[in-house]
Amino acid sequence: MTMDRRTVLGLGGAIAAGVALAPGLHLFAAPANSTSPDSGSAQPGKRWGMLIDTTRCSSDCTACLSACRTENNVPLYGDPDRDIHWIRKVELRDQNRRQLPVNLPVLCNHCENPPCVHVCPTAASFVRHDGLVLIDKHRCIGCRYCIIACPYKARSLVFYKTKPPRDANPNVPIRAAGVVEKCTFCAHRLDEGKMPACVEACAKADKNAMIFGDLNDPNSEIHQRLLKEKTQTIRADLGLKPHVHYKGI
Amino acid sequence: MKSPTSLAGRLSRTSFLILVLFVAWIATPFSVQADPPQPEKAVRGPCVRDAEWMRRNHMDFLKHKREETVREGIAVKSESFLSCAGCHTSRERFCDRCHAYAAVSPNCFECHQYPK
Repeated sequence: MTMDRRTVLGLGGAIAAGVALAPGLHLFAAPANSTSPDSGSAQPGKRWGMLIDTTRCSSDCTACLSACRTENNVPLYGDPDRDIHWIRKVELRDQNRRQLPVNLPVLCNHCENPPCVHVCPTAASFVRHDGLVLIDKHRCIGCRYCIIACPYKARSLVFYKTKPPRDANPNVPIRAAGVVEKCTFCAHRLDEGKMPACVEACAKADKNAMIFGDLNDPNSEIHQRLLKEKTQTIRADLGLKPHVHYKGI
Repeated sequence: MKSPTSLAGRLSRTSFLILVLFVAWIATPFSVQADPPQPEKAVRGPCVRDAEWMRRNHMDFLKHKREETVREGIAVKSESFLSCAGCHTSRERFCDRCHAYAAVSPNCFECHQYPK
């Protein structure tokens, strides 16, 4: 049998490619996942999300705000320009006064296409396996590009050096001056299998306005409700795919 | 003719003496040995790694763990900063003693709390 020039070259190429790939045969490595018994870890398949039912949120309740401050040791300086806010209460008013004002908490939306991460010059802002947008404060240089990039005003710069309160939660580090911080969806609690502090406080205040869960899990309450109910995200036009959904705005 | 040479001789002797004293002064820190630091003994054990290894490598170990914990979300409770305090009860008597001796000032404790 004789082979023409083209077949020989093609076969040679195929063999070379096979030899190069065969030892590993993994074009994409599986994400590392620790299985040690005492490790809480971010699970790659998850997509944490929140649904805020504004019809159940009242203007006089600030349970989520205070729970966040105690859980994450967030100080209140009393200076409106420089205070750190991980979660804020916002009142929406209809300009034509056809609708009643709506109250809603606004926090980091943990976007799928986070602009804060894209602008970060030191890769301090990053997206974790489970979809949380977090800040590695060890790398943050305090340039504040991310604060400008975030359309939800979710980030704050720490202007002052703060001492830990006496009953500080040791699981959350106290802030150093000159870094940016924001809501983490209580990542330290999620890794332990607990809900974020604001969600827990909302349920405890008997409002149940905040529903938290895995958007990828078809059996989760949040997944079911997002399918059934009419919800929307803030500034959906920006295409950031936020993971905090609102009902009733 | 004698007096100028003797003056020069006296001068050179004085400068030699000054030189000897200066060298002795410069070399003092090397000749006087400071006592090695005595960090507090652990109240229980064993450590997450060999103690001798930890003495040399704890800073790289902590840095590695910090990357894993913060960025990958792999938080191993027993190897966390907080669990150091389970055996080494006091930051002042354990961490700070060596750090002061070695004249290093790691900024871990600017943000992280060492449980009391």
